[in-house]
Amino acid sequence: MSARDLHGPGAPWGGAEPGARSNSDFKVVGQPRPKVDGIAKATGAAVYTDDLTFPGMLHAKTLRSPHAHARIVRIDTSKARALKGVHAVLTGDSMPIKYGVIPWTPDENALAVDKVRFIGDPVAAVAAIDEDTANAALKLIEVEYELLHTYLDPFESLQRKEPQIHEDKKGGNISKSVQLEFGKVEEALAGAEVVVEDDYFFHGSTHAPIEPHCAVATYSADGVLTLWSATQITHYVHRALARVLELPAHRIRVIQPCLGGAFGGKSDPFSLEFCVSKLAMVTGRPVKMLWTREEVFYAHRGRHPMHLHYRSGVTKDGKLVGVDAKILIDGGSYSSFGLVTTYYSGQLLTGPYHFPTYRFDSTRVFTNKPPCGPKRGHGSVQPRFAFEVQLDQLAEKLALDPIEIRRRNFQGDFTRTVNGQRVTSNGFLQCLDEVESASRWKERRGKLGFGRGLGVAGSMYISGTNYPVYPNDMPQAGVQLKVDRSGLVTVFTGGNDIGQGSNSMCAYIVAEELGIPVERVRVVAADTDLCPVDLGAYSSRVTFMVGNATIDAARKLREKLVAAVAEKWECAPARVRLIEGLAIDLEDTARSMTSVEAFQLAETKFDTLGSTGSYNTPKLGGDYRGGTIGASPAYSFTAHVVDASVDVETGRITVHDVWVAHDCGRALNPMIVAGQMEGSAYMGLAEALFEEHDVNRFGLHRGPSLLDYRLPTSLDTPDFHARIVESIDPEGPYGAKEAGEGPLHPSLPALSNAVYDAVGIRLKHLPFTPAKVLAALREKRAAASVPQGVR
Amino acid sequence: MTPEVTVARSLDEALAALARDGAAAHVLAGGTDLMVELRTGRTRPERVVDVWKVGELRGVREENEGLRLGALSTCAELLRDSRVASHAPLLVAACREVGAEQIQARATLGGNLGTASPAADLNPALVALGARVRLRSRRGAREVAVDEFLCGYRKTLRERDELIESVLVPTRPAHERQLWRKVGTRRAQSISKLTVAVALAFEGACVSAVRAAAGSVGPRTLRLATLERELVGRPLSPALCRSAAAACARADITPIDDVRSTALYRRHAFARVLATLLAEPDGVPACPPS
Repeated sequence: MSARDLHGPGAPWGGAEPGARSNSDFKVVGQPRPKVDGIAKATGAAVYTDDLTFPGMLHAKTLRSPHAHARIVRIDTSKARALKGVHAVLTGDSMPIKYGVIPWTPDENALAVDKVRFIGDPVAAVAAIDEDTANAALKLIEVEYELLHTYLDPFESLQRKEPQIHEDKKGGNISKSVQLEFGKVEEALAGAEVVVEDDYFFHGSTHAPIEPHCAVATYSADGVLTLWSATQITHYVHRALARVLELPAHRIRVIQPCLGGAFGGKSDPFSLEFCVSKLAMVTGRPVKMLWTREEVFYAHRGRHPMHLHYRSGVTKDGKLVGVDAKILIDGGSYSSFGLVTTYYSGQLLTGPYHFPTYRFDSTRVFTNKPPCGPKRGHGSVQPRFAFEVQLDQLAEKLALDPIEIRRRNFQGDFTRTVNGQRVTSNGFLQCLDEVESASRWKERRGKLGFGRGLGVAGSMYISGTNYPVYPNDMPQAGVQLKVDRSGLVTVFTGGNDIGQGSNSMCAYIVAEELGIPVERVRVVAADTDLCPVDLGAYSSRVTFMVGNATIDAARKLREKLVAAVAEKWECAPARVRLIEGLAIDLEDTARSMTSVEAFQLAETKFDTLGSTGSYNTPKLGGDYRGGTIGASPAYSFTAHVVDASVDVETGRITVHDVWVAHDCGRALNPMIVAGQMEGSAYMGLAEALFEEHDVNRFGLHRGPSLLDYRLPTSLDTPDFHARIVESIDPEGPYGAKEAGEGPLHPSLPALSNAVYDAVGIRLKHLPFTPAKVLAALREKRAAASVPQGVR
Repeated sequence: MTPEVTVARSLDEALAALARDGAAAHVLAGGTDLMVELRTGRTRPERVVDVWKVGELRGVREENEGLRLGALSTCAELLRDSRVASHAPLLVAACREVGAEQIQARATLGGNLGTASPAADLNPALVALGARVRLRSRRGAREVAVDEFLCGYRKTLRERDELIESVLVPTRPAHERQLWRKVGTRRAQSISKLTVAVALAFEGACVSAVRAAAGSVGPRTLRLATLERELVGRPLSPALCRSAAAACARADITPIDDVRSTALYRRHAFARVLATLLAEPDGVPACPPS
């Protein structure tokens, strides 16, 4: 790792103690404060993609497949083209080059070329003077399909090779298969005191961001394509556009306007981005496409359904000896991030507990359903659910307290996992302590009477990984600072603010480093013409990587400011401190100047002022194929306790309270961190109790609307109690780690474990619908009424 | 294909538009149902008569026989009216659980009746209250019991030239208990898995009269005849609540599997919910359930 990547976790002006752990050394960091775009969003002034409008702009719509799996025999667009007000109609042959977010698995077309693979697959696009005309034109497009066998069951996709959903793929309908073993699992399990083996099922769920996908493109007379898109990864969209449209990348500009939520659902390049670009190029007019809510459900990329089989063994003291996992992943119709998902399903389970031996066998298959992808807690929420329930089953067999078994297996900090991942700071034990005392676990667990109970679960998650989706050694995050004579500092970052507050984070860091108010920092983000490359908002990488790059840039700028002031005062640079909008002399308190004066002094001395900074991960990961996938510079840790009751009459589960303790390294803004923790827990419980993304027997989505896809309302939402744990990571920006995805994981298993404490049923198949709860209760009663010895 | 829209400014204009020859017109009130139907293409009317601005269809009046509610009364208006609150708390409870505030501001009593969805929340309440619907056309006016008016899956006794003018909720008998429960897929903003509405009058300890209705458990809003028969003339003991509810769940309802629930779950939960509800001292929650 080069020096530019690491500035230590201390406050910028920490003096003799560069590793200072105290938050009191900070002026901005560590204090709850609003986001920099909070007022604009609250007042409706913020500009989202659909707010953009241009003179002469056309509106585009997509024709989608009504069949789950079919060959396209013929498309006739002549009637649509002839409709008054229609400017262009595109079909797949206009953009035949395939793309995919993972460069090894390009299997998507902007519009279907020869086949459709799920109900909702885009087939044609129309640009017209308004949406009504475009919709009318869609009805005039004639498509003849030859129907093919439809795969809806992942087990069938595993067995059956013909017909293939992707014909150029080797190995039938298997998308990716990974088998890795660390140590000798069978031997270890043979020596275990107790082994539990069980099956678990995680259903599909989707992101449901409040803003539907939208894209607008213009194509200038001199051949520059500009795309505004509701994406969370501008850089990959930029690369994909260049590939598919066969344009040099320097003639493409991608801008992400204000974004209304993503949660992973806007990580892939999407059909609409290519279509509006191509339509703008063909028509010479600005073109907009706004997906309907229904289309957002078809685009999906949500959580993969997984059939999980786990076998774990422990010693009589409750120490894990081995874990064996076999996972079948239903990928839907395209690869998306599936290669990574398949690795993540095994690679991210090896903390916060010590696994002496571990093996996983994960296979992702294609089915004719909306494509799955990354959703908050990508690939690891499902195995975490299964394993944390199994850990409770093990504790029960040993009559151990569920928190105690988790404590006994704690892996420790500054260690290495069984699969070769480096773990730095690790505050998991403190997380357990926090939720144990806050929930009054010892007094209350098992003592709340039939119908109400407490459950616990833990987890870990990555703060970005050292695996950029395309191999390169350039920085993973870059930041540029520009100083204005007015005292304003502008931060240019390729990082995507998707509501998580990454722009605010950049502003806090620059304000902290330069001793100026946050209001004097403006952030320009996610514009490929203006901003240095950042790999985007995914894998919880932004705070860690963009934050470090911002510190890097700010320290270089600070050095110049301090040098200029020191020269003017004819003193040592160490005496100059930038604070509260001033430069002061630490040894002569009467001497000071405003930061504006300091900026101007430095500009006079050094020329136009600015700086750049960057971050790259150190070399990480196990020395085997796939060993770098899931290798993170720092891991976050979480523990939840859920308090829930079960209505045995109706089968309905009510969650009363959730205590969430999360080790985020250091909370740069505790208000945002707590918000992420509560939002994550909300999203996890929503998946456990309400949300279900599934298709019917024809492959048609069962309820592509916000009425039938049930997000919990405020009345369905329990009280969340966020407990921030700060382990101060040595490599994070001021010690910070991720907070946006990790806190989701324990919600689901902790709820299942709470239900067991409440009524004695093990819920292993998500979602926990009232009907399933009643069935489990019936089964339990039936088992109890069978006389001993008969079973 | 855009329908021809007539915006009626008065009752006469609305009735004239409905009486016109040719294709039957769809009536547009709050639009919470029709606008969705138009967008999905499930309904493709040639003509629409918009009655939203017809003042004669608005307002709540006290009459000798009871409370007369204009057909354009919105859920929001009914929720705010103190006369409705004291007279028909059952209806207020039902209004409170319809959609979100935006929907409550547009959804009307007349619209609920006219659409006649089996999942409509207000209709079981109206049936349990013994309400009567007044239909008006240029030929005159007539009154029909809501129970009879809702005659099938999205079917009513309304003739094509008739407009739902108002609903009469008969004066509430002294000591009448009104019970309401909705089971949705979540606690608010959901379409019901089942709803049940009961009005119980007593003489001494015994039940003297019962009207009960349920939604989302059959093709139309169902009158619960078995329940009514089982309860009348008896003291409302916990055992009776259970047995009557079980008998009712067997005989009175015909639930199906759909995207919101299963027939099996609905029948099971219906019996349990009804038994619990009957045993509650006051079945209408005073505030939204939490």
